[in-house]
Amino acid sequence: MKPAPFLYVAPRTVEEAVALLQEHGTDAKLLAGGQSLMPLINMRLARPEVLVDLNEVRTLDYITEVDGEVRIGAMTRQRAVERSPFVATHVPLLSEALRWVGHPQIRNRGTIGGSLAHADPSAELPAVAAALDAVFVARGPDGVRLLAPGEFFVSFLTTALEPAEMLVEVRFAVPSAPAGCAFLELSRRHGDFALVGAAAVVRLDSGRCRDVRLALTGVGPTPVRVREVEEALLDQPPTEARLADLSRGIGPRLDPVSDIHASAEYRRHVAGVLARRALAAAAARAQAVGGGEDSPS
Amino acid sequence: MSTRPIPIAERTVQFTVNGRQVELTVPVRRTLADALRDDLGLTGTHLGCEHGVCGACTILLDGQAVRSCLLLAVQADGRAVRTVEGLSDGDRLHPLQEAFWEAHGLQCGFCTPGFLMTLVPFLEEHPHPTEDEIREAIAGNLCRCTGYVNIIKAVRLAAAKLAGAGHAG
Amino acid sequence: MTGLAGTNPFMGRPLRRREDPRLLRGEGRYLSDIALPDMLDLAIIRSPHAHARLIRVETAAARAAPGVATVVSGMDLAVGSIEPVFSGDGYHGAAQPPLARDRVRFVGEPVAVVAAGNRYLAEDAADLVEVAYEPLPAVISAEAARKPDAPLIHDSVPSNCFFRYDHAYGDVASAFAAAPVVVRGTFRHQRLAGAPMEGRGIVAAWDHDRLTVWASTQTPHMLRTGLARSLGIPEDAIRVVVPDVGGGFGPKMHLYPEDLVACALARTIGRPVRWIEDRRENLLAMTQAREQVVNAALAADRDGRILALQADVTCDSGAYSVYPITAALEPMGSAQILPGPYRVPAYAYTTQAIATNKCPVGAYRGVGMTVGVFVMERLMDRLAAAVGSDPAEIRRRNLIPDDAFPYTAPTGLVYDSGRYGDTLEAALAAFGYAEARREQARAREQGRLVGVGVAAFVEYTGMGPATFARRGMRDVPGSDSAYITVDEAGRARVLLSCPSQGQGHETVFAQLAAGELGLEFEAVTVSAVDTDTVGAGSGTFGSRAVVSGGGAVVRAARAVRAKAIDVAAHLLEAPRDDVVIADGWFHVRGSLGRGLSWPEVARAAHTPGLLPHDMEPGLQAAFTYNPPPAAFGSGVHVSLVEVDRETGLIKVLRYAIAEDCGPMINPLLVEGQTHGGLAQGLGEAFLEEVCYDESGQVLTQTLMDYLIPTAVDMPPVTLAHLETPSPTTVHGVKGVGESATIGAPACLANAVSDALGQDADTLPVTPQRILAWSRQRAFREAGV
Repeated sequence: MKPAPFLYVAPRTVEEAVALLQEHGTDAKLLAGGQSLMPLINMRLARPEVLVDLNEVRTLDYITEVDGEVRIGAMTRQRAVERSPFVATHVPLLSEALRWVGHPQIRNRGTIGGSLAHADPSAELPAVAAALDAVFVARGPDGVRLLAPGEFFVSFLTTALEPAEMLVEVRFAVPSAPAGCAFLELSRRHGDFALVGAAAVVRLDSGRCRDVRLALTGVGPTPVRVREVEEALLDQPPTEARLADLSRGIGPRLDPVSDIHASAEYRRHVAGVLARRALAAAAARAQAVGGGEDSPS
Repeated sequence: MSTRPIPIAERTVQFTVNGRQVELTVPVRRTLADALRDDLGLTGTHLGCEHGVCGACTILLDGQAVRSCLLLAVQADGRAVRTVEGLSDGDRLHPLQEAFWEAHGLQCGFCTPGFLMTLVPFLEEHPHPTEDEIREAIAGNLCRCTGYVNIIKAVRLAAAKLAGAGHAG
Repeated sequence: MTGLAGTNPFMGRPLRRREDPRLLRGEGRYLSDIALPDMLDLAIIRSPHAHARLIRVETAAARAAPGVATVVSGMDLAVGSIEPVFSGDGYHGAAQPPLARDRVRFVGEPVAVVAAGNRYLAEDAADLVEVAYEPLPAVISAEAARKPDAPLIHDSVPSNCFFRYDHAYGDVASAFAAAPVVVRGTFRHQRLAGAPMEGRGIVAAWDHDRLTVWASTQTPHMLRTGLARSLGIPEDAIRVVVPDVGGGFGPKMHLYPEDLVACALARTIGRPVRWIEDRRENLLAMTQAREQVVNAALAADRDGRILALQADVTCDSGAYSVYPITAALEPMGSAQILPGPYRVPAYAYTTQAIATNKCPVGAYRGVGMTVGVFVMERLMDRLAAAVGSDPAEIRRRNLIPDDAFPYTAPTGLVYDSGRYGDTLEAALAAFGYAEARREQARAREQGRLVGVGVAAFVEYTGMGPATFARRGMRDVPGSDSAYITVDEAGRARVLLSCPSQGQGHETVFAQLAAGELGLEFEAVTVSAVDTDTVGAGSGTFGSRAVVSGGGAVVRAARAVRAKAIDVAAHLLEAPRDDVVIADGWFHVRGSLGRGLSWPEVARAAHTPGLLPHDMEPGLQAAFTYNPPPAAFGSGVHVSLVEVDRETGLIKVLRYAIAEDCGPMINPLLVEGQTHGGLAQGLGEAFLEEVCYDESGQVLTQTLMDYLIPTAVDMPPVTLAHLETPSPTTVHGVKGVGESATIGAPACLANAVSDALGQDADTLPVTPQRILAWSRQRAFREAGV
């Protein structure tokens, strides 16, 4: 289990990286943290001609706030984001979800951009991005373009990035009012890819839902935003009965795959369960941060 | 705009291993684990899966626990690598090694270096870990022999030893 | 404590392990750490088909690749096949070629090999080997293999049946016909991978006509025999050396195609070669384990006392019958252990090993026994439910009483010793059984699914020549050897035939030898196993090392001690019967003199001038020990689990084990074996499964798909030890390596069944299966 031969290059700037992509096209592959790509390379399931290592592009390692947005450079390590008090305050769903990503050794090396651009629909970060309507900043030969999650995630392990384009940043809006969030997932063994995961955000005002986000992992070729449930909860109190009722309707609308770890049927069922639990947990936290009765707005 | 770097097949890199400066010329596809083991003779870093699951190849890169099977040797250029061979102080075992010995925290020993290298930074950050924190910290390291019971015991013992000795790690 | 530590002062002492400092420093030397000058690395080309005719292997492009020394396919390799010898009825073996010649029979079967300057280059060249296949219909389950029109996997194996054995004791049919209570079930046990953290590996080097092999093996002597047979050279032309081994668990006791390929290539190329199994190869082609379907029934009286047992065991044995234990071991073991620790007046079974187009099934911790115990203990819980008894009570009622030993089971196995009732009570006490039942009742009131599981078992350990001969496994000698030397400084070196794969042999055998010799523990060293220093033996498997290797060490040490006493008697001018060794000194019994120190006696023993004319100089002895047929260990496991009724996720809340492996030599190591065995049993119960698709492709080729338990999965565990000595072994010891793996799957399946109120008869118990079972129960209760 040793990598097939390739050529290696470690650009120091985004411009260099993009120029290399432009020159080598689909023969090139970007290497970020390597926690997904390197296993594939070791097993010779990925055989890039040219490996473009982004780890020397130091300008992509940052967490900042600009114009009411938290902006995270694509090469920021997952562990750094997980530990950032700034992220914990402004994008708590991201902090919570990161604790489910692999293991500490994986997060020490894995990057935010690498995980998102790998676009594994079972992974945590794509669901977080989907739930929070993150903005993906792509950089190509013709400059920058911004993509929404629905545009960015195309299919299983496939994004809308062009061959000469790379993800350089992801942006999360800082919520205008406090909300509650929860990330839950179920795997047969801790630290493994989830069979199903649920990311939920609930903002309450006077005990009623004002903003609801629900995204699921592991139930389709991309992360799935469950807008029917979000809309049905708007202006409603998130009662147990209502959540249970709405969650029951989720599974039948999903089209997950069957594999050795779980059948599609199991995934559909558990998606409803986790959705309900995540929404309930998020609502309870929203209550705790002051979204309960008559909070000032 | 700088000159565009050229993709290459072989590269000379310099880094430190356990404080010692080394220079290697390696094919770029060579993993750091293989470079440590075969080029530098540091065979204490073990390969259990070569796809980033088992944790046997865990080393410290600039002080952080990472899987060396998922790194290329060229990526170590200019960095500090620490391996299991760098843990003990001459004849004196590191308190964590002592604790593993005392608590019977190893059997075949193949996974052990990976556990040790995972735990060194963990104990620096969590000098008084709870049992759940310990389990979580080592969940990315597979052991097929011990059932982890005595590894967990060893970590608690090591924490006590380190606290007692005021050890800096 | 029972005070059965005998005369060895090092028995029962939890000494820290000798091997640890080196392993902790990263100074262990495992197979892949061995690098010889001029050595080549191998990469194997493997079949992508479960069953196909091999048309052509095109190696020209690979031969021309950089760094390649040679590329060889089955047609070019003049090496004999692997074929274990079995003597007995109902067996049809098949030869396994080192590289496939005309047919491939499972995905992962070796087809060709590249030798190159390093593994990277070898894999590059392997990519260039082109193999043409003509796919044949593949047989992927025992059920399919038994159909009358099923394709034959081997011409030499009629009906795809490697082995069949029928056994009847007592009038089973009448007992069932007359019994007021009958419980039955169909039990399915999955296929497992041993998955030691270090895969297999071999280094082979020739010096003229002599071959030296370093192998990550449990059984160097049987490896030597197998290599000699297939390579067509005398055994004494082969030396097998065992370096540090990163876990074995059974699969490292077999002879594999890659072993033969490495030895043959090293000879033809004239350079040392090394083959290191990577994880994908390990999960494709290292022998796998278990995979059985068992139909079984238990007849009992109204009080739940067993009247008869009946079982039909079918094992999916994969494509070949493995050397040295054959395909018979797994299904035979299950059938034979089924009656367990209970009085079973009548028992009939049929057991079969069926060939399929999958990786061969071989030994894995608990071989045969784990499945048998799973089946019996599930039946015992059914029996408890049928007669309205508590699961602990139904077992209590049926256990073999203490005064029945030696007890001949209906299988013909003779249980030498045990205190099964005490073992059960010890486990229940360690667990807090009554409190757990109250806890369960409270939890149920809250709507939680909490279950308690109990499992009792016996296991054969340390099997001797008589057992292997009776089973027809002619390639397993069953004996082990030790050679002990004491040098002039009074330091002893122990050499033996049982290598360690993590069990701590450098420590336990030093304890045994030091105690017998009257030496300090520090004065005794145990060497790595090398077939040139100890000529014969069986190795480490089947919980045998302390029984068999230990017996050899103790007997050899006693011979050395006797010689030392002869020397001391001469020097002290006393009758030898009056000379005793105490605290490292030789004294004349009752005398007040200082006596002689061990080094003084040792020096004299090596100085001919100081000895009587008729005494040979030197202090050494070799002993080959035939252990008894088996020493039976026993144990009881109890667990508390909670199941999430909505997701089927299982959490093991706590666990207790009472085990009886006879007097413990080193309790620290017994506990380590028990913890590790439990983890593997837990993986077997809930996580681990080798999956094949209907075309025979392996879907579990990574450790992301083959799920080994992590630290988060392990419950808190309490251990209790009983030390009932075996009357047949040295110091009364019994093996313990497999114990916890044997008991755990049954115990956990019972706990889940108790939580759900629905039988968990299929392993592994996954969240998905739990939800399916819960639905069945809901339908049943709704009268659907």
